[in-house]
Amino acid sequence: MTELQAEQAAVMPRIESQSQRSRYRDVLIALAAFAVLAILPMLTGSKALLDFVIRCSAFGLFATSLNLLVGFTGLVSFGHGMFFGLGAYGFGLIMQRSGLPVPVAFVATLVITTLIATVIGAICVRLKEIYFAFVTLAFQMLIHSTILSWVSLTGGDQGLRGGIPRPAFFGVDLSNHVHLYITSCALLVIGLLLMRQIAQSPFGYTLRMIRDNAIRASFIGIDVWRAKLTIFVLAALFASTGGIIMALFVSGAYPEFAYWTISGEGIFINMLGGVTTFLGPMVGTVLLLILNDTVTRLTEYYGIVLGIVILFFAIGLRKGLMDFVVEWYARRRNGSGE
Amino acid sequence: MTRTRKPGVSRRTTLAMMGAGAVTFATPWVARAQAKTIKVGMPTILSGRVAQLGTSSRNGVMLEIEKVNAAGGLAGRQIEMVIRDSKGQPQEAARVARELVNTDGCEILIDAEASSGAFAVHEVARDLGVLCLHTNSETSALTADPKQHIPNAFRTARQGVHDSIVGGSYAAAIAKAKGLKRWATCSPDYAYGRDTTGEYVTYLKRFAPDTEIISESWPKLFQPDYTEVVTKILQAKPQALYSCLWGGDLTSYIDQANIYALFSQMEVFAVNMADYTALTVVKNLPKGIHSGNRYIKTYPATPENAAWGDAYKAKYNEYPTNWSWENATAIMLLAEASKKANSADGKKIAEALRGLKIKSPFGADGTVTMRAEDQTLVGYAIGWGTTIPQEPYVPQVQAGDWKTIFELEAEWKKSKGYT
Repeated sequence: MTELQAEQAAVMPRIESQSQRSRYRDVLIALAAFAVLAILPMLTGSKALLDFVIRCSAFGLFATSLNLLVGFTGLVSFGHGMFFGLGAYGFGLIMQRSGLPVPVAFVATLVITTLIATVIGAICVRLKEIYFAFVTLAFQMLIHSTILSWVSLTGGDQGLRGGIPRPAFFGVDLSNHVHLYITSCALLVIGLLLMRQIAQSPFGYTLRMIRDNAIRASFIGIDVWRAKLTIFVLAALFASTGGIIMALFVSGAYPEFAYWTISGEGIFINMLGGVTTFLGPMVGTVLLLILNDTVTRLTEYYGIVLGIVILFFAIGLRKGLMDFVVEWYARRRNGSGE
Repeated sequence: MTRTRKPGVSRRTTLAMMGAGAVTFATPWVARAQAKTIKVGMPTILSGRVAQLGTSSRNGVMLEIEKVNAAGGLAGRQIEMVIRDSKGQPQEAARVARELVNTDGCEILIDAEASSGAFAVHEVARDLGVLCLHTNSETSALTADPKQHIPNAFRTARQGVHDSIVGGSYAAAIAKAKGLKRWATCSPDYAYGRDTTGEYVTYLKRFAPDTEIISESWPKLFQPDYTEVVTKILQAKPQALYSCLWGGDLTSYIDQANIYALFSQMEVFAVNMADYTALTVVKNLPKGIHSGNRYIKTYPATPENAAWGDAYKAKYNEYPTNWSWENATAIMLLAEASKKANSADGKKIAEALRGLKIKSPFGADGTVTMRAEDQTLVGYAIGWGTTIPQEPYVPQVQAGDWKTIFELEAEWKKSKGYT
């Protein structure tokens, strides 16, 4: 045993116990967050607040999964919205046509998403930077066009009509507003927890390495293509879950869910919240939705206000809100330590 | 000498506290005054390419709301409109509609959304059970399909299938008279364009069986350049052309086709031509384009309709659109139903709306009816005529026959499996 190996052997258990501890901490935080969200309906009678949290769950899962690609792997996908749309349409169609129980339809939708994401990902992740961005965008437009033109299946540009049936399962009745709310919160918290585990796992660190220097990563024996494809498919699954929540919320699916503007919104949420911290996109989601709801309430010139906010973040802060807060906090702590 | 602040409450704080106190005590009064008003929510599209849909709908609504409020409101309650932009996104339309009901306390919804948004709002109405009047979606399935039917949703707009029946029979009559056998179509490539064209052709062939379609063009929605479409049609040498392009697409199509003198080479049937948004924008409006009426103040040729169009023009400095009359009709029906039910309660109004016939400037015979069986508007003025380049643009409109419409509509419903 060389000196280096001996040193590593000593260090390993310590790191392992540390990661074990941080995992417990994450689970505790998740449980606490879920508990707070779950008692919310008892504290307030505001249905709008519950609606807000349901939409946050849908977009939060979508944006955080996009950040797994953008922030952690350096894959700037412009077509992530296709999986959001795929989730909404897949779930809506299965429920409308087959009458399967909700959990089965949920799993089936994820299986379909996995298959499609694997095929699309296998083609896209070979490409770099702008080429990757544009080929994902092209696939998104392909899926969007398919939804538009396959009228007999998808209803074309009118969307899935007639509502999504939702038979009760295990005592959960998703046509009940509070049940839908709790289910969305549970999906959000579980989704975030799983994504956190992915980000903190050795695989997550491999992704960061690929982002920083893919050539070096491949030299030390990492199959870069496989790692990128894996995270592409995983991110698609979480985006798809977001789409399912959205389909349940509006009780339908519309071509806009698979349009590039949804991907753009995801990118914007990430810019707003910041890509270097795990919860950045979640913060961005809450910010964007609050912004959206208050601005549309006050004025019809939503675009101008949003544009100014984008400029403020892009030129003024030059980073997302969470990045800014984390840096500010670190600076303050260092400052007071001296 | 230094002056320090006296302990205790300063004058400024006292004033502030008095102000706060006054507000606190006054709030219940304000709230009580508000409870007397009835809020009506209206999600619509106020930004983006089809913002005109929202603004002209809003104008139509507000014009009527003023009259209703001046006459005492809904069963003594003044109407307060809460109008929000959905940006043309269905999920936003659903969100805004829910918020209007759940947070803003709206008791009635006017759904002034384009088709996909209308279906999203329809689901919200199904979920919340709130009275909802669809004012812009002309997609037949919204009310014709029994799966869509809910007791609290009504449509106060035209219906695609009505337009196709009238258009088809009008075109067939001219085709027979002028011997037009070879037809071409040119319509926007989305559900409205494809469905409307398909239904139109069905009825054209039904009334004039020896016509055939020799060329079809499907330009993209909002396509800027129509050169290839125009040349394709010219090469096919049809005797007649049908199009359901609308708004800006129709006007740029006509401007570009004018260069090739397309309109002198064939009879053109453009269902959406006779709307001021198209008529007033085209640079050289060709003479003799056949068009269905959308909204023009000269058809129906009644003083009531002319007065309504002029009042709108005087208030908003532009002519009403097809959407304006559809939305105005919603408010007229609402007011009348509330009077009949003597209540502002959504359920009672819905009960009174079923089968309600009201006087209307937009009626074929001076009245329109909310048909009870599928809760959609019938009896509105519907007809076709030919254009001239200046006002009144479409001088003679040939009225569609509602008896025929009802017969063929029933047949169509059966063929779709709706009845």
